[in-house]
Amino acid sequence: MVKVRFLLEDLLVEAPAGTPLQRIADAAGADITFGCRTGSCGTCRVRVAGGLEHCSDPGPEERDFLKGLEAPPDQRLACQVCVHGDVDIEYLGP
Amino acid sequence: MTTLETLLREKVLLLDGGMGTQIFARKPTPEDYGGAALEGCVDLLTERRPQWIREIHESYFRAGADAVETNTFGANPLVLGEFKLSAKAYDLNVQAASIARDVARSFDRPRFVIGSVGPGTKLITLGHVSYADLLASYRVQMDGLLDGGADAILIETCQDLGQIKVAVRAAREAMAARRRKVPLWVQATVETTGTLLVGSDIAAVLTSLEPLGIDVLGINCGTGPDEMHAHLQTLSESSPFRISCLPNAGLPENREGQVVYPLAPEAFVQKVLHAASEFGLAILGGCCGTTPDHIGALAPGVEKLNPPRRTPRLERGAASLYQSVALRQEPAPLIVGERTNANGSKKFRDLLATEDWDGMISLAKEQQREGAHLLDLCVAYVGRDEVRDADELLSRLVTQITLPLMIDSTEFPVIERALQRSPGKCVINSINFEDGDAKARAILELCRTYGAAVVALTIDERGMAKTRAQKLEVARRLHALAVGEYGLDPGDLIIDPLTFTLGSGDEEFRGSAVETLEALGLIKAELPGVMTILGVSNVSFGLNPASRHVLNALMLYHAVKHGLDMAIFNASKVIPVAKIDPEDRRIVEDLIYDRRTGDYDPLKALMARFSSRKTAVVEGHRADLPVLERLHRGILDGEKQALLADVDEALRDHDPLKLINEVLLGAMKVVGERFGAGEMQLPFVLESAEAMKAAIKRIEPHLPRESSYQKGRLLLATVKGDVHDIGKNLVDIILSNNGFEVKNLGIKQPIEAILKELEAWPAEAIGLSGLLVKSTVIMKENLHFMEELGLKVPVILGGAALTRDYVEGDCRRTYSGSVFYAEDAFEGLRHMQALVSGEAAVPSPTPAASAAGEIKVLHRGTTSVPLTAQGQSSWVRHEMPPPTPPFWGVRELVDRPVDLFEHLDAFALLRNRWGFSQGSLGDEAFASVLREKAEPQLDRWRERLAADPLFQPRARYGYFPVRAEGDALRVCDPLDPDRTLAWLTFPRQAGGRRLCITDYFRADQTDVLALQLVTLGQAAADHAARLYRADGYADYFAFHGLATELTEAYAERLHARIRRELGIHGKDLPGRALFAQGYQGSRYSYGYPACPDLEGNGPLLDLLRGAEIGVHLSESHQMDPEYTTSALVAWHPQARYFSV
Repeated sequence: MVKVRFLLEDLLVEAPAGTPLQRIADAAGADITFGCRTGSCGTCRVRVAGGLEHCSDPGPEERDFLKGLEAPPDQRLACQVCVHGDVDIEYLGP
Repeated sequence: MTTLETLLREKVLLLDGGMGTQIFARKPTPEDYGGAALEGCVDLLTERRPQWIREIHESYFRAGADAVETNTFGANPLVLGEFKLSAKAYDLNVQAASIARDVARSFDRPRFVIGSVGPGTKLITLGHVSYADLLASYRVQMDGLLDGGADAILIETCQDLGQIKVAVRAAREAMAARRRKVPLWVQATVETTGTLLVGSDIAAVLTSLEPLGIDVLGINCGTGPDEMHAHLQTLSESSPFRISCLPNAGLPENREGQVVYPLAPEAFVQKVLHAASEFGLAILGGCCGTTPDHIGALAPGVEKLNPPRRTPRLERGAASLYQSVALRQEPAPLIVGERTNANGSKKFRDLLATEDWDGMISLAKEQQREGAHLLDLCVAYVGRDEVRDADELLSRLVTQITLPLMIDSTEFPVIERALQRSPGKCVINSINFEDGDAKARAILELCRTYGAAVVALTIDERGMAKTRAQKLEVARRLHALAVGEYGLDPGDLIIDPLTFTLGSGDEEFRGSAVETLEALGLIKAELPGVMTILGVSNVSFGLNPASRHVLNALMLYHAVKHGLDMAIFNASKVIPVAKIDPEDRRIVEDLIYDRRTGDYDPLKALMARFSSRKTAVVEGHRADLPVLERLHRGILDGEKQALLADVDEALRDHDPLKLINEVLLGAMKVVGERFGAGEMQLPFVLESAEAMKAAIKRIEPHLPRESSYQKGRLLLATVKGDVHDIGKNLVDIILSNNGFEVKNLGIKQPIEAILKELEAWPAEAIGLSGLLVKSTVIMKENLHFMEELGLKVPVILGGAALTRDYVEGDCRRTYSGSVFYAEDAFEGLRHMQALVSGEAAVPSPTPAASAAGEIKVLHRGTTSVPLTAQGQSSWVRHEMPPPTPPFWGVRELVDRPVDLFEHLDAFALLRNRWGFSQGSLGDEAFASVLREKAEPQLDRWRERLAADPLFQPRARYGYFPVRAEGDALRVCDPLDPDRTLAWLTFPRQAGGRRLCITDYFRADQTDVLALQLVTLGQAAADHAARLYRADGYADYFAFHGLATELTEAYAERLHARIRRELGIHGKDLPGRALFAQGYQGSRYSYGYPACPDLEGNGPLLDLLRGAEIGVHLSESHQMDPEYTTSALVAWHPQARYFSV
C-alpha cells in the first residue's frame, strides 16, 4: 500500500501500489478538478511535492502537453499518473 | 581473525554518519586550516587538527559503528590542486587511514577502517578532465589509503558513471602493485531526479560496474532514506553485490538561511531499518546531517538484523551513460543499428570525411528512433586518424545518445580510447583467431579492465569457418579463452558464426546459410549462456535492394528460430515476415536452404522475379488477389468504392450470409483488434465501418428471406437531460457494423421511454450514454427504477464522466441485472459478444468492499477555510479594485468561421475529438500519421469552411453590475443599478477552500460580471445530422469534432476579447498554455464542476437575450442548436476551475 497526501486539504489516503491517482482522488473526494481525464486539457495539473519518482512515467502525450506549458518537471497531470510509492500532491489546476 | 568479509556474513554492518557535519560543528577557523587561502580544505584538517578527526571516529565507534570512513573525501591530487596541495595527497591519505586505524585498535571488538574516496570536482564524462589525469590522481589516493592500513576502499557519493570506472581501476591497480586485495565498495548518489548527476539510472550503474567485480554497490547522500526506495529495490532485485545505504537525514531544508536536515534520530532509524529489511541491505550508516546520535540510535536495531539473503537476478546488458539495455530482448533479436559505420554506410563516411560531427550524431539518433537497441560505431576510414576520430565523435555522442555502443574496430588503441570515452558498458566488435590469439588476449584484457562485452567471430588461423563443425570448434576455443581464462561471463561473450552472401551464386557458399543457421543451434546448445550475433544483411550482398530486403528479413526470421540473440541490421528495414508475398517467400527460403532441383535454381528465380521490382513488399494489384481476400483488405483499408465492385463479384459465387459472417465481420474483428492494440486510429476505424456499412447494404437484398446475420440487439440512448450524441453514435456505428442490430433512440431519453421501447423491441441489452456529470447520477437513478420494476435486462453504461469504479461499484449495487462499463465502443462490442454467446455469467453485484474500498482515507484535515462575515471563502482576497468595462449591457458579434481557427486547440481536436492517439505507434510513425493524415484533413476543412457556409458563428456578450451575497450573485440593471435583473445562485464546496463562484465577486461594492454566448448556428447542427443519416461516419465524426472544438475556440476568442476590454489581458500566455487557463480570471460554464446545474442557462440566456441569435433552451436546460456554449466570466486573479 502507498500513502498519498493531498496538501491543500491535509488529506491522507492509502491505496494499493499502482493505483491511478485519479481513482484515489475520486474515491477520497480530494479537491482536484478533472476535465477530459485523457491528458489533454490540463485542468487536473498537480505539483508532486514529494515522491516524484514514485509516479509512473509520463506518456508521450502528457509529455508533449506539459512541454507546451513549459511546466517544471515536478508537475504532472493527475489523470495520467499511477502511484507506486508515497507521494505528496498539491493541486495547481490549469 | 575477523575480517570485514567474515563480519558481513555474521551481521549487518553499521558504518558511521557524516564526517563533514561533525567537523563543521567544531566551527573551524582560517587558523585551523593553516591560513585563509586553505579555508575549506577539510582533508587538510587530518594533518592540522588530527585530534578532531580522532574524536569524531571515537564518537562513532562509541555509538556502535563497526567501521568508520577516513577523512579523505577529497584527498586526491586533482582536488587538493585547487589549494596547491597536490603533493600532499599521498601523505594525507596515509595519515587519515592511520588515525582511523589507531582509534579502531583502541576498541576491543573488531572495528574497521574504510578508505573514503569522493567524486572529486571534475566530471570526466563532461570532458572536465582526461582519463589519464583522473586515473593518475586516484591512484595516488588509493596508494595512500592502502599504505595507511584501510580495510576497504569506498568509492562514494559518485555522480558520474565514468568517474566510478576510473576510480575502480585505480584501486585495482594500487592493490595489484601491493599484492594486497581489500574489498572494493562503490556508492552512487541518486539525486531527487532519480538519476546520478550526469543522468545515469541505477540500472545503468549496475550493468556497467557488474563486470568489474566489485564487492558492494550501494547508495549514499543525495536524499533521505525514503527517496532511495525505488533504486534500492532495483539493486535488491538485480545486484549480485552486497547493498549499502547511507542516506542523508532527509532532504535538506533551508531554515532562515541555514541548511537543516530534518530527520531526527528516531525518524531516521525507523526509515533506515525499514529499508534494510525490505531491500536486504548489508551495510547501513548515514551521510549528510547524520550524527553519532543517529548512529547510536541505529545500533540496537542493526544488532537485531540478520545478514540479508537475496536471490538477485541480473539481466545481462550493455549500458549507455543513461540506461541499461538487456542483450536478450523479448522478442528476439536485439537490433544493432548498422548505419553509424564508415565501412557500411556511405552517408556516414561522407559525414566523417567532412567532420560533420553533428550530422553523425543525427544519424545515430535516427537509428535510435527507428528502434535499434544498440549502435554499432565504426570510424575506420583509410587515410584518417581513427583514434582521433573516435575521440572526437564519442566525446560528443555519449551524452546525446541513450543507446549503448558497440565499438567496431580491429585496432587496439582505437578500442581502448573508445572505452575510456564511454561511461557505460560497451560491446567490443570484435575478436578472432586469424593471427593466433595474441590480439584476442589483448582485447579481452580490455574487456576486463573496462567492463565490456565482446563479439567473437568464428575465424581462426585457417580462415573463416564455413562448416557448422568448424564454426562450433572455433566457438569452443573462443569460449575457453574468454570465459575459461579471462573470466568473462558467458553472457558477455557474443559469438558470430559468420554470414556469407548467397547472392554470388558461388558453389562454395550455396550451403553457407544452412551451415550458419545450424551452427547457431549447436553453439547455443553446447555453450550455455553465450550469446549469438549475425551481420544478417551480408547474406544478400550483391543482389538488388528490393530482393535484399526480402532475403535479409527471412534470413533474420530463420536465424532467430535457430537461436540468434542479436542482429546487426538496419532497424528501419525490418519487414514483418507476414507481409512478404508467399511466392517471394518460397523462392527465398529455397535459396536459404539451397533447395535446387533439376533446372530450378532459386537464385535465378529470385533475380528474375525482382529484376524490375523496386519494393520488397508488393501491396499487390488488387485484381490479382482472390476476391474474398480483396474484400477483407477493402474493409481493413476502408476503401468503399473498390469494395463495392468486389462485393458484386463475390455475390456471383458466394453465399451472401457467409460473405457477411465470415469475410466482412472477420475483417471488422481485425479492425477492432488493431484499434485495441493501438495500431489503428479511430478515423481509420470509421472509414472501415463506413466501408462495412456500404458492403452490407449491397448484400442485404441478396439475403434469403428471414435469414439474419445479426447476432443480437442493443437498445441505445443518451439519458434524460443530456443532448450528447457522438459517443452513443460511435457505439451504434461499431456495433451495427459488427453484426449487431442497434436501435438508436437518440438523446434526452427518459427511462420510461426506453423501457416502453424495450417491450416492443426486445433486446439483449440496453446501452445508456451521457457526457454530463449529472448523467452519471441519472444512470444510477434509471437502474434504481429498473430494479423497482424487477427487471433483469443487462445494461451497458458509457460516457466521459463515468468511471469504471462507479459503474462496477455503485451502479452494480443498485441493480440486480448485469451492469457493464464500456470505456469505448469496442468494449461495448465485447460485452455484447459475451452476452449473446452466454460467456458472461451474470456478475454478482459487487459487495461493499469493492476495488474502491481498497482506497482508504487515513486522515482528513478538518482545517476548512473559514467564511467571512459576508459568507464568502476567506481564501479569496479582494485586493484589487474591479476593472471598468468599456460599456454596460449587451452587444452582438458576427464572425467568419476562419477567424475561429486562430483560437482552435488543434492538439485537443486531433487527439481527443478525431482520435489520433499515439497508441502503440512509435514517435516517428505517429508524427507521420499526424503529418500525412490529420493535419491535411484539418487544412481541407479550413478551406472548405471559407467557401461553404456550414458554420454561421454569432455571439452575444455583455457586462453587468453585480454584487455577491453569500452563495448568490445579484445581477443589476446597467441602466438602473438599484434594479435587480436576476439572482444567480451557485453551490459551495463543503470543505477545504469552501469555494463558490460568488467568492470571486465583491460583496462590499459593485463588481463587474461578464456573460457570453456563442453559437455556430442551426446550419452546423443540421449538417452533422445529415452526415450521420447518410452513413458518412468518418465525415460525421470529423465534422462533429471540429464543430465542437470550434465552438470552444469561439468561446475562447470571445473570452480573450473580454479580457482585453477589461484591461486584464496582460497575463495571457502564448501557445497552448492559453487553453489551460493561461490567463487572468476564469470562464465558468453551466454543467461543469464549479456550477453543475444546467438550469442556470435559463437566466443567462434571458440576460443576454440569446433568442436574438437563435439560441433557445431545451426542456432539459441545454442550449439548442447543438454547437452553442455560454459562460460567466470572472475577472478575479484567483478565479480558477474547481469542483464542488
